Amino acid sequence: MKVIRSFGVIALACATLAAPAAAQKKAAPKPPKPQISDATRQKAADTNANPEALVLVNFQKRVDAYMAIHKAAAKDSLPIKQTSNPAEIKAAQEALGAKIRAARADAKPGEILTPEIRNKFRRLMYPVVQGTAGRETKEELNEDIHERDEGIPKKVPLKVNATYPEGNPLPTTPPNVLLNLPKLPEELEYRILDKNLILRDVQANIIVDFIPNAIQ
Amino acid sequence: MHRSFQAVIMRRSFSSALLLLVLALAMPAALPAQNLTLPMRQGSVKFAVIGDTGTGDNHQLAIAKQLTSSRATFPFDFVIMMGDNLYGGNSAKDYDKKFALPYKPLLDGGVKFYASLGNHDDPSERFYKLFNMNGERYYSFKPGNASVRFFALDSNYMDDKQLKWLDDQLAASGSDWKICFFHHPPYSSGEAHGSDTTLRDQVEPVFVKYGVNVVFTGHEHFYERIKPQKGIAYFIAGSSAKLREGNIGSSDLEAKGFDQGYTFMLVEITGDDMYYQTLSETGKTIDSGSVHRVGKVEPTPNRTAQPVVATGGATKGQTTGK
Repeated sequence: MKVIRSFGVIALACATLAAPAAAQKKAAPKPPKPQISDATRQKAADTNANPEALVLVNFQKRVDAYMAIHKAAAKDSLPIKQTSNPAEIKAAQEALGAKIRAARADAKPGEILTPEIRNKFRRLMYPVVQGTAGRETKEELNEDIHERDEGIPKKVPLKVNATYPEGNPLPTTPPNVLLNLPKLPEELEYRILDKNLILRDVQANIIVDFIPNAIQ
Repeated sequence: MHRSFQAVIMRRSFSSALLLLVLALAMPAALPAQNLTLPMRQGSVKFAVIGDTGTGDNHQLAIAKQLTSSRATFPFDFVIMMGDNLYGGNSAKDYDKKFALPYKPLLDGGVKFYASLGNHDDPSERFYKLFNMNGERYYSFKPGNASVRFFALDSNYMDDKQLKWLDDQLAASGSDWKICFFHHPPYSSGEAHGSDTTLRDQVEPVFVKYGVNVVFTGHEHFYERIKPQKGIAYFIAGSSAKLREGNIGSSDLEAKGFDQGYTFMLVEITGDDMYYQTLSETGKTIDSGSVHRVGKVEPTPNRTAQPVVATGGATKGQTTGK
């Protein structure tokens, strides 16, 4: 009986000692493997272009297409202008959002951030969210959305055309992450919520597209 | 339809009146005297600093009352806001309850408020006229004819476009005093957040290159004066409505910290000196002193740090409180 107990104690001690090593192993995910579609590879071969660059060009084209919708909707909406009446700001924002939603009623997740663009973004962000510096970046992301004493934020729907919940904190997008991602027009922005990246229309306050598990 | 609109207006007027009544009842008729020791010189640049204000609760109202009271002896022209101007929503009611009503006596007295955006602010706040952001997420302004320029940054979204704007604006400024303000502190002893090092890595080289003198931030719900870093004086003023008691951890950064009460700052610039006095919601002085600007700083190509704040007792003056 005594022998069994001693064996148990030794086994527990071994497990305790091994745990940090196992955790350390888990804390270092491998970089995502490039996933470039056959169509992009073929296009790259035909045009003697870098397939990675073509993925980003494709993203830019899709952003431009979205911006054409945004601008057309803005033309028909109340202009968002400086005012002392905050109700006007809200009304203009909601009117623009409604118009864009109507114009993109059939929009699906991945319409702008296609699978290969999502993969590219994950790879672009991977270096800044790894290691000691990466841990700090992740902590900063987490702090802004889950602030102590600030109450529980509403669940942000990972849904194209959804409204970003009013009153929820907008987590800071760390400058090092922004510097690694393609530039956006001022009407759009990247936000990272937990591990997901959201492409948000700032003026209309709607989720344009998203990348689940964008950071590891 | 018309009747329901009238009903909404009446309800809003009633709730506004009720809030004003609560404000009046919550505050003592006569506030304890503030012992303001700034030079209070004629012709100086006088302003106040508040941060993380938008709660609409009694603490915000108490600080607002102290601010109003201090203006009788220290006639500041404007207030800079460190972000989190509206917590929990941005409806018209939120703007009223968390900004327009608490600061009504100051707004009525012609005081201008210059806001920056925090992580609880929707960027659409930039269109609200009383925040004086001119529809921009980041902007600069120059009060009167003084050689002082303020740069309000959006630290929630420091992309290369904003960094380029900051570089261009600082290069063209020509002002003796260059003061930046934004939400997230590059240096902080806070246990909840601490220094925002990723932000610091991007903005500090630009600040140093162009000789930014002073940086005001919020986000941390306490007051902290940081020891000058690379010649720049840093202040955290994020407890003008929210407080994280006991949240200042031990660090080498702190010159003075106060996490036991709500605070705001009064600041005065005259010549090469910037005087500051930090007061609590009861009007007690928490910290005071001055920052001395050392000469004119020209940018150098190699971005070498050039001290603009004299080292060794540059931030001199009495300290009370914690």
